[in-house]
Amino acid sequence: MLLKLVDVDKTYRMGDVDVPVLHHVNLRIEEGQITVIVGPSGSGKSTLLNLVGGIDRPTSGSVFFRGHDISDYSERQLTDYRRDRIGFVFQFYNLVSTLTALENVRVSTEIVRDAMAPQDALQLVGLSHRLDHFPAQLSGGEQQRVAIARAVAKKPDLLLCDEPTGALDLATGRKVLRALVELNTNMKMSIIIITHNVAIAGIAHRLVRIGSGTIAEDVAVEQRIEPEDVAW
Amino acid sequence: MVAALDRKLLRDLYAARGLLIAVTMILGLGISAYVANLSLYFNLELSRRSYYAQCRMADFWIDIQKFPNAELERLQRTPGVSELRSRIVMPVTVDLENVEKPLSGTIISMPPDPMPVINSFVLRQGGYFTPFRREEVIISDGFARARNIRPGDRIYVLLNDRRQELLVVGTAISSEFVFARGPGTMIPDKAGYVVLYVKQAFAEEATNMEGAANQIVGLLTPDMQSRPQLVLDQLERQLEPFGEATSIQLKDNESHNQLTSDLKGLRTVNLIVPTVFLAVSALILDVLMVRMAQQQRTTVGMLKATGYSNGQLFVHFMKFGVLIGGFGGLLGAAFGFWLAGYMLNLFRQFYEFSRIINRPYPSIVLGCIGLGVVIALLGAFRGVQQVVKLRPADAMRPKPPEVGRRVLLERWSKFWESLGFRWQMVIRGIVRHRLRTFTGVFSSMMGAALILQTLQIDDSFRELISFTFDRMLVSDFDLSFKDELDYGGFIETRRLPGIDYAEPILTVGCTFYNGHRSKRGAVTGIQQGARLTVPRDTVGDPIEVPETGVILTRRLAEILAVSPGDPLVMVPLTGARQRLTVPVSRVVESFVGTAAYADFNYLNSLVGEEQALNSVQAKVSTESGTVREFYRALKQTPRLQGFSALREQKSQLIELLKPLKVVNRFLIAFAGLLFCGGIVTSSLISLAERKQEIATFRVLGYQPRQIGGIFLRESLIINTLGVLFGLPVGYGFAYFINRAVGTDLTRLPFYFENSTWGLTIVLGAIFTVLGYLPVYRAVRRLDWIGALNVNE
Ligand SMILES: Nc1ncnc2c1ncn2[C@@H]1O[C@H](COP(=O)(O)OP(=O)(O)O)[C@@H](O)[C@H]1O
Ligand SMILES: [Mg+2]
Repeated sequence: MLLKLVDVDKTYRMGDVDVPVLHHVNLRIEEGQITVIVGPSGSGKSTLLNLVGGIDRPTSGSVFFRGHDISDYSERQLTDYRRDRIGFVFQFYNLVSTLTALENVRVSTEIVRDAMAPQDALQLVGLSHRLDHFPAQLSGGEQQRVAIARAVAKKPDLLLCDEPTGALDLATGRKVLRALVELNTNMKMSIIIITHNVAIAGIAHRLVRIGSGTIAEDVAVEQRIEPEDVAW
Repeated sequence: MVAALDRKLLRDLYAARGLLIAVTMILGLGISAYVANLSLYFNLELSRRSYYAQCRMADFWIDIQKFPNAELERLQRTPGVSELRSRIVMPVTVDLENVEKPLSGTIISMPPDPMPVINSFVLRQGGYFTPFRREEVIISDGFARARNIRPGDRIYVLLNDRRQELLVVGTAISSEFVFARGPGTMIPDKAGYVVLYVKQAFAEEATNMEGAANQIVGLLTPDMQSRPQLVLDQLERQLEPFGEATSIQLKDNESHNQLTSDLKGLRTVNLIVPTVFLAVSALILDVLMVRMAQQQRTTVGMLKATGYSNGQLFVHFMKFGVLIGGFGGLLGAAFGFWLAGYMLNLFRQFYEFSRIINRPYPSIVLGCIGLGVVIALLGAFRGVQQVVKLRPADAMRPKPPEVGRRVLLERWSKFWESLGFRWQMVIRGIVRHRLRTFTGVFSSMMGAALILQTLQIDDSFRELISFTFDRMLVSDFDLSFKDELDYGGFIETRRLPGIDYAEPILTVGCTFYNGHRSKRGAVTGIQQGARLTVPRDTVGDPIEVPETGVILTRRLAEILAVSPGDPLVMVPLTGARQRLTVPVSRVVESFVGTAAYADFNYLNSLVGEEQALNSVQAKVSTESGTVREFYRALKQTPRLQGFSALREQKSQLIELLKPLKVVNRFLIAFAGLLFCGGIVTSSLISLAERKQEIATFRVLGYQPRQIGGIFLRESLIINTLGVLFGLPVGYGFAYFINRAVGTDLTRLPFYFENSTWGLTIVLGAIFTVLGYLPVYRAVRRLDWIGALNVNE
């Protein structure tokens, strides 16, 4: 068991009003799987991912990572957890515009002990020929793949992708999905992808549907398809 | 290998280089002013000390009528005395062949062979006395150079009513005469006053002082340095059999006093400017860093999500501060050291030291670099704090749009609507970015204040000169005599060729006492209705000298803490030296010296004389022939002690102040940078922030000039506010500095020309336009097509 969420609640406080976002979320995720979480925009997907990734804390309930309750962690422990266990991929890539592709990857390899060589990470996502390009010189898909390389290069136990194809066209989106699937098959990396696009669920082992703050559906994907066959 | 984050840092710095150069320059200028002033002060003080040590500067001087040298050994045993030397000191008139007017000088006896005696000198040209003749002289180097006299030349002195020829064997400088002033003159004048060191044997014979002396100079033992008066009282008591003794301590020595208070003034006054610069650079950096924190929001979120700890991010962003501070400090230290050397050179003209030591002070340099870093860190702190506080989950979310607030002015809708959208934009921006507005206003306020204050110093000097020479002392020549003349002597003097009009003056040197306060000075007795010395009250109106009582100048009244109506005790330095109690009748203004005035006859009766005088003031007709004749006659006037030409003193003073103008020009340039530094940086920041807005304007067809107009409007508002607040602040600075530069000897009038206010405003306008140039250039060169395509 990689991840177990028990009765997780998340409520934001906006001035005087409480905005409940997640309510009694219970979820289990196995090692080595690709999980796709789908739901309409505003349904709390990113919030859920942030809780799992240790950049936010639940209002109540617990998040267990390999049996450890990370909701009890101190700030310091959470930072170490993010550093050693988690890789993040964001919808808008969040590359440092003043650093080249290679240097952007080094931003993450430099803080962990047993990281990949940045070049190797970029090769995994098929970008060996773009090492010295700045983000502005790369296409959206290439930028997103640099972001994936950056997340993967520190050899995380869990890769979290928030709408990784959200800003991309179909063809480029497929390339990014291909890179993710390959990481999963070749390196046995556990991956959670959140998206409002149900079509992507085809590449996953598991599909979790979230609606108005609770888990609406949690099923195994029967018929997995190749990224190239995904369509939207 | 450079860490990836450090690489990011360097590229971020490079991308913001325009702004950073501006901040670094302002910071660097502040630091350089600190370095320059502190090292200038330390170097001058070091040079002074080394000079004093080299010349073995005395701790005290005692004037006495005739002291047998044989008694010196006994006197030397007085407790607290470390060493004594007796010498002959005598005023003389010097006659140079190619100079029409007689010049004042002082002869001082020296041992025939070079010895490290107290108050010795440092040879500059030629050598010490030779054994070959008695009539050898070593003269002050400044005079020799001003009058083009070289070793081997001959000069003539009128000494004891005899004209003596002396052979110049060398020239020298001495710590005793850093500010060499002739008797009766106010301004040090190298060309008009000379110190003549002669062999002791010559001096004794020429002054009829065989085996005797008229001045004792001495050094105190270390334990008595702080209590010289105790020793001097004892010495004076032992000297009673040899005539009246008057003593002076080092701290009352005029040259020393002027020098040390000059140096102290230099140190305090010049620290205002750098402090202002540092404050402004910290503020600007604060604005920059807060903006950077906002700009790098998502990057910070990404870094935190990746596992960078708060500590690591804190260090990373603080490095901006360290780099800017360190670089600004380094630049400032280098420039400051150069500036110190430059100013030290300027000071060479004022102070004739044996050598000017220009030593770098690593501790000052390091301290100032450290100061730069501290200032930069302070400036960076808030921005970095925002970075660290940012929660990663929030950083990932798009930034909520800025709250567009309505401005108070909008209530007045008719006016608001008539403004046009560009004024509206600017006014909203000014109200929204409070801190930025504050920084801009603060920095232009300080700039305007410094401009005003710098210009004002010039006003004060001009007023000082005009008050002193055009309104108070209006004679052409002052002649002073060795001893008192009777009224017949005055009539005789008045008959000298060339004199149109003359007035007698009696000056009585004395010590004033009021309770525990005392001050050495003199009372000048002037006749009723005198036209050549015109005491004036504090508003500048001439006043009549009352028939009884004394009039004190303001500074003297302050020192003695007396006001009109109070009794004052005065003890003359010569004659019967009776304690006299006189009423203070008025207080008058004076900027040079601490004078006291009384009615001529009243003062005479106080000291038991009748119509006695010891100087004469004269108006001389300006035809060149008569002046020449007047000079020739003066050279033959026997008991003449000193002679001063007031017109020349006035032009000398003006000459003396020229270096100040050079320094002032620097200061105004500094102040100008400060004036627009804040608004220029904040314009450049908002230019970067509003790239997309500007791109949109360009698409709509706006010219760069029209877009630049937005920034010009903003800087107009900010700088107008700055000038508005800057004028009163500058008034305050000027007042503070005016107080700080006053010494016992000179004070500056606190005076503003109306044009100074106007000029400050005009300079403000000029600097506003100059400051707009880089902003306009940035608008023109903005890559707006690129900005359209980027989704920030
Ligand atoms: N920091 C926050 N403060 C207040 N409300 C928030 C915050 N983060 C998210 N929300 C709200 O929570 C809800 C879910 O947001 P999010 O998890 O981003 O949804 P999704 O990723 O599914 O689109 C939204 O209504 C959003 O406005
Ligand atoms: Mg989301």
